[in-house]
Amino acid sequence: MIEVRDLKVRYGGRLVADVPELDVGAGECVAIVGESGSGKSTTLLTLLGLTPDAEISGHVRVCGVDVLTASPRALREIRGARAALVMQSPQAALSPATRLGVLMRRALRLHGRDGSEQAMARAVAEVLLDPEILRRYPHEISGGQAQRFAIALAVALGAEAILADEPTSALDVTVQAEVIGVLRRLRRERGLALLMVSHDLALVSTIADRVLVMKDGAVVESGPAATVLAEPAHPYTRELLEALP
Amino acid sequence: MTLLRAERVTLGYGGRPVVHDVSLGVTEGGVGLIGESGSGKTTLARAFLGLLTPMSGNIYYGDQTLKKANLRAFRRDVQPVFQAEALDPRMRVGRSIAEALPRAARARVGELLEQVGLDPALAARRPHELSGGQRQRVVIARALAVGPRLLILDEPTSALDVTVQARILDLLASLETERLLITHNLAVVERLCRTSHVLFAGRVVESGPTARLLANPAHPYTRALRDAVPKLGGAPPEARGRTEAVPAATGCPFRLRCPLAVAACEQAPAPRDLGGAGGTGGMEGRRVACHRAEDVLSA
Repeated sequence: MIEVRDLKVRYGGRLVADVPELDVGAGECVAIVGESGSGKSTTLLTLLGLTPDAEISGHVRVCGVDVLTASPRALREIRGARAALVMQSPQAALSPATRLGVLMRRALRLHGRDGSEQAMARAVAEVLLDPEILRRYPHEISGGQAQRFAIALAVALGAEAILADEPTSALDVTVQAEVIGVLRRLRRERGLALLMVSHDLALVSTIADRVLVMKDGAVVESGPAATVLAEPAHPYTRELLEALP
Repeated sequence: MTLLRAERVTLGYGGRPVVHDVSLGVTEGGVGLIGESGSGKTTLARAFLGLLTPMSGNIYYGDQTLKKANLRAFRRDVQPVFQAEALDPRMRVGRSIAEALPRAARARVGELLEQVGLDPALAARRPHELSGGQRQRVVIARALAVGPRLLILDEPTSALDVTVQARILDLLASLETERLLITHNLAVVERLCRTSHVLFAGRVVESGPTARLLANPAHPYTRALRDAVPKLGGAPPEARGRTEAVPAATGCPFRLRCPLAVAACEQAPAPRDLGGAGGTGGMEGRRVACHRAEDVLSA
């Protein structure tokens, strides 16, 4: 679903992300972990063609489309529908004066999907939200509800992959558990591919199949999550693990 | 005597209470206030700092209510440590710290920076020229400037990377001041607080020695919080009950989210000592407000 080879992202000549290899298949979860400034979010955004000012080289395929050479139109089709971006605070991205139902219907119609009340109710029910939420405005819902709504929207648009940047780090732990539960179920039932950026190694260890550890733009270690986090080979991974309170 | 304590304090904004009838003191070894967004923990911290007047009940500083206390002495004894965003962005950090010192003692800025593990030369920098961890250390140095006996810390490390957080926690653990720590992070409380109080919807639902309280919770909410924390190499975090349900307006506030709720929970449970008065059998110092505490403990 996602295939990256020799990706190098530079800003003003400075290398900010250098990812030799990254693959996410259907139903898989891969996590990029690292601290502020490690290049993990830049990598994620580059995969969706959302780093227009950067100098990029390498090879990136998302849902069968070569992102680095694709036309803006082809990119829009990928971004809007087949590969969805889920951010840390989706509320900030939802138009404050638009009811969630209106917003969802517009997005569905734009991509030629079924925007009926029933279809939307089914979509939000899939992430365990009450369809009543479609009548609400973004400021009337909680962070956890907003995050699940973003996921529902992605699924309704037919997303095959979700790229999530710290999807639960602004949430309380009990709410985080719920959002993670929804993502796990979608992976299992729909074969959704999940690429997640996170600073939370403990969380990552419980849901990711594979993990990439980034530091100062470079991937310092990668492999199966169970191996990397249980027997870290790189001193930085060890430092991260030892720092867990 | 406890330096600072709340007695049956109710707090609110615009006449609407958000913290209900809370009694707790800052005891030795660090005290943690644990709770989620909206639980009232920051409101309680503001009252402890004298920034919010209780609607009813009192905050005691020593044997005096905060209203009658010598505020000069209070401000010297009790200092807040907020997230680093609270620093004035235009001011060199050395000056930020010096402001808190008497004129004659301004030479101590370098010494304070060293105490929190920073190079004294950083005094000439402005906040944006420092890293997040360095800024948080400056905030701590500023709080230490007046020689406080108690620090009130509101999420002091939640915006920091883990490796930076670990070093800040080491620093805080090494300080000799008493501390009241407000956080949603159970691991941080375990590290820095001997005693903890769990807040839900503005009420203390469970209190006790931190290690025992987290190892063997007596309140279903404490258990839900603990089980939701991901553990390295463990099972995915588990959501217990419905996190969306709003706190109940009558009876036990947790009952609409609680997987164990029964008809009796429509009556608000009074806080009680576990293991009888004074506590026995490892239940010393443990209090809970739940009709079904025994079932939670034995589960």
